[in-house]
Amino acid sequence: MNTVKKSGFSLNLIKQTLTGFREGTVIIIIIAVGAILSFLTPHFLTTDNLRTTAIGLSADGIVAIGMTIALVSGGFDLSVGSILGLTSVSTASMFSLGINIWPAMLLGLLVALVVGLINGLLIGKIGINPFITTLATMSIARGAAYVITRGSPISIKDCPDCFRFLGRGDFIGLPFIVMVFVIFAIFGDVMMRRSAPIRKVFYTGSNEKAAILSGINTTRVKIGVFLLTALLAGIAGILSVARFGVATPTQGTSTEMRVISAAVIGGASLSGGEGSILGTVLGVILLNVINNALVLLNISVYWQSLISGVILITAVTIDHVTHQRKLNKVITAEEAE
Amino acid sequence: MKKNLQKIGFLLLALCLVICAVSCNGKQEAPAATTAAEGESAPQSPLIGDPSEEYYMVTFFSGIDFWKQCFEGFEDAAELYGVTPRYDGAPEYELNNAITVLEQIIAKNPRGIAVTCMNPDAYVEPINKAIEKGITVVTFDSDAPLSKRYANLSTGNYYGGVLAARQMAKFLGEKGEVGVVGVPGQLNLEQRTNGFLDTIKNEYPNMKVVQVVNGNAEEMKGAEVTASLIQAWPNMKGVYACNANMGIGVGSAVEEAKKTDDIYVVSFDVDPGLIAGIDDGTIDACIAQGAWNMGFWSMQCLYLVEHDLVSPVQGWREKGVNPLPPYFDTGVSVVTKENVDAFRR
Repeated sequence: MNTVKKSGFSLNLIKQTLTGFREGTVIIIIIAVGAILSFLTPHFLTTDNLRTTAIGLSADGIVAIGMTIALVSGGFDLSVGSILGLTSVSTASMFSLGINIWPAMLLGLLVALVVGLINGLLIGKIGINPFITTLATMSIARGAAYVITRGSPISIKDCPDCFRFLGRGDFIGLPFIVMVFVIFAIFGDVMMRRSAPIRKVFYTGSNEKAAILSGINTTRVKIGVFLLTALLAGIAGILSVARFGVATPTQGTSTEMRVISAAVIGGASLSGGEGSILGTVLGVILLNVINNALVLLNISVYWQSLISGVILITAVTIDHVTHQRKLNKVITAEEAE
Repeated sequence: MKKNLQKIGFLLLALCLVICAVSCNGKQEAPAATTAAEGESAPQSPLIGDPSEEYYMVTFFSGIDFWKQCFEGFEDAAELYGVTPRYDGAPEYELNNAITVLEQIIAKNPRGIAVTCMNPDAYVEPINKAIEKGITVVTFDSDAPLSKRYANLSTGNYYGGVLAARQMAKFLGEKGEVGVVGVPGQLNLEQRTNGFLDTIKNEYPNMKVVQVVNGNAEEMKGAEVTASLIQAWPNMKGVYACNANMGIGVGSAVEEAKKTDDIYVVSFDVDPGLIAGIDDGTIDACIAQGAWNMGFWSMQCLYLVEHDLVSPVQGWREKGVNPLPPYFDTGVSVVTKENVDAFRR
């Protein structure tokens, strides 16, 4: 164990704090990648590039907040990408039928919540495995988006400018969509560390049986979790349609894999009970900075998917190994007693 | 454990950098410049560009073969001028990623961009932003007509459908039943379908289109709907598919029903799979798009505008007049067993 100098400021203390937790490692990696990138190309640290990258990652980021909570509860939601697409398509479709954009938006979010409720009931109440359930709802929601659009995109060109502002406006110099993401992230992170209902999510995820025995209604927790992931995916869908002015049925494809990768990189565990919004946000930033690097360094398009996969598998391996070591530590500690 | 985490973290970083370094040394190297030495008295032709000039081709669904054909034309033109061509795009068929990649490339301030638009409305803003920054932009294949792009270079899809109908008529001796596999709601494929349908109706009174089905622009769905067509219409003598993926599916379905000798298959596009189909007889003709043309003439437009070599009107920039023709029809060719060798790459 590193000794900490009690007197004054020490480099050792900084080093220990930073590397002492998972988020610290990710921050170091982001800074290192950023530094190397800015050395290799003058286009990384430009306002335009950073702004574009930030806008590009905001929708994923909002969805990732929900996914973190789902992972903490011991499950995950593969249907978020499809819910994003379905919400944007439902909103656009209702608008094109003559409904005012704002109630159309609320109805779109309602559609998202319905899917979330289905997930929550099947997983929480009936007890079906989250993988199969959300895999199925992923297909159903995506299919519904295709049915509504019959394959073609739906434009919301004539909608009021104030709605488009949600997706592409600037507020005090920053893109509104990025601000929404940042506010949600800060709020989510604080809630995860302080709020009692969220603590129940942690207990459910770490040890469901113990949670039930201590009086937690894990069914309600799970339903709440899946409603939340669906709602956040729906909000991301609304912001996307506001940003592009058009809803396409393929919107949000592969979001779930990117977002789960980001959460795991940031410290969420696939076995539940662990994770933080800060870590997930850092994971989202890292993945998007790397994608940005691939474009800036002119790396062939054929490498992009491969590199994303390699990063995910490395993160998952670190997660597994860390988890094993923690488990072993606990076992050894118990044996020592 | 903390040390191991750190180690693994840096290992990951190193891995990424190695991958970057390896791929950076890859194929996209700038062609050698033929600039005259400093101090020579002969004036340099404006057609000699500099390898530091970068021109981007940006696509969506970037891994498909069709864009490769387009980029070959782009590269060939870039070589003429001694400038650097680059290819990029989002690997998925997903709007957010496609636009994010385009905007990141715009942020790099290249000299010119040739972009194909996954959706005509969503691309208007990024394209206009690029033009405001002084980047020359043309669209190829799929257009964003409401944007300020200088030109669109694409296939006359309707005419491609017309040629497909005439080729089908030639195969069938101008009489018989045919089916069509298209994608309703996708503009370019609808135009290809309409060209076919109108020609059969107007020019071949003894031929009939029995049904138009949706192949969803993919192989498996194309095969599935063709199998149904074959069952539903036993006298059908030909099937027309509106793009490469569906063409492959149609060819497979006809082969699986053991009707390769009875049913003629005409497909839009040409790619290695369809060429193999023509070789073994499962595909009878392809309507090849001018993919190389799209890339080649896009680069021509970009270079000539960037170097101020086109001036139909004096001071067109200040007066806001487009110096280019707004539309280039890059043409189609009919590919059959007779001329397929010319289309091998």
